[in-house]
Amino acid sequence: MALEGDRSGVSVTRPQYSVLYRHAAPMGTTAKEEMNKFWSKNARLNRPMSPHLTIYKWSVPMMMSVTHRGTGVGLSGAISAFALAALVLPGNYPYYLDLIHSLSIGPFLIGLAKFGITFPVSYHTYNGIRHLWWDIGKGFKIPEVYRTGYTVIGLSIITSIALAAI
Amino acid sequence: MAAIVRLSAVCRRGVKPLFYQTTLLARPLVIPHKHQEQPYMLTARIHASQALYAASGSKAASLHWTAERMLSILLLAMGPVAYFNPSPVIDYSLAAALTLHGHWGIGQVVTDYVHGDAKIKMANAGLFLLSTVTFAGLCYFNYNDVGICKAIGLLWSK
Repeated sequence: MALEGDRSGVSVTRPQYSVLYRHAAPMGTTAKEEMNKFWSKNARLNRPMSPHLTIYKWSVPMMMSVTHRGTGVGLSGAISAFALAALVLPGNYPYYLDLIHSLSIGPFLIGLAKFGITFPVSYHTYNGIRHLWWDIGKGFKIPEVYRTGYTVIGLSIITSIALAAI
Repeated sequence: MAAIVRLSAVCRRGVKPLFYQTTLLARPLVIPHKHQEQPYMLTARIHASQALYAASGSKAASLHWTAERMLSILLLAMGPVAYFNPSPVIDYSLAAALTLHGHWGIGQVVTDYVHGDAKIKMANAGLFLLSTVTFAGLCYFNYNDVGICKAIGLLWSK
């Protein structure tokens, strides 16, 4: 640290903190308060929001992030809908499964429906692992972001097709 | 001028220790002229203001972040377990983990897009209600019906 070597004839062994507080100016508000102030002021003045999604060039990482959120919200909604149905509907699960069987839907449509379930689960899971990789601090270089991104997309497609075909 | 202070430090000590210099963590400061002869005072001053920042918050947000990642890892581990060892234990664990992961996830979406104290409160209350009903429904399904693992199995055995 800078305190070690360079004495330069000045004998300071420890910084005098009481003197230094004079120069420090901490923020009096939290980030949350600052954000609220921003929003309430701009809403009050009825300011329009600057275009962002409509003008910024879409990139693969951007789309993957949106898809991660979209699949997450979609899956969460589907689970909630399932839970609500379980509470509200009269019959039990095998009953409704037989009901769907009796509709004699072709294998292609069944496969498509299965893919509709397996793809969001696969994508969200693989991209989730990618997120956890980022959370431990790895893979932030732009080529790595793209490489891991394409890997996630590839694995998701392969896994979801394989699972839907079983 | 701050850049010149840092550069002279590099030339004296080599590149590696540069990473441990706290001046790198500071935003560029406008340094009053009389302090330029005392680079070590600059470091100490930045230390002091960081201490003041640290004293003013709680660790709740940071702990929540960690809990979210721990839960995600737990949920990942539950997948293979549910496949190879289906049981009521894993059914209820899955119900809890899925609901909580979804609750925290939608919570982040609400934080991102909902603004204004009243709206935030309403959105979070609605979310809490939804998650409660979801967990109740999944537990009901596990208790009174075939259970999550069996349900997925049956769906695929078509």
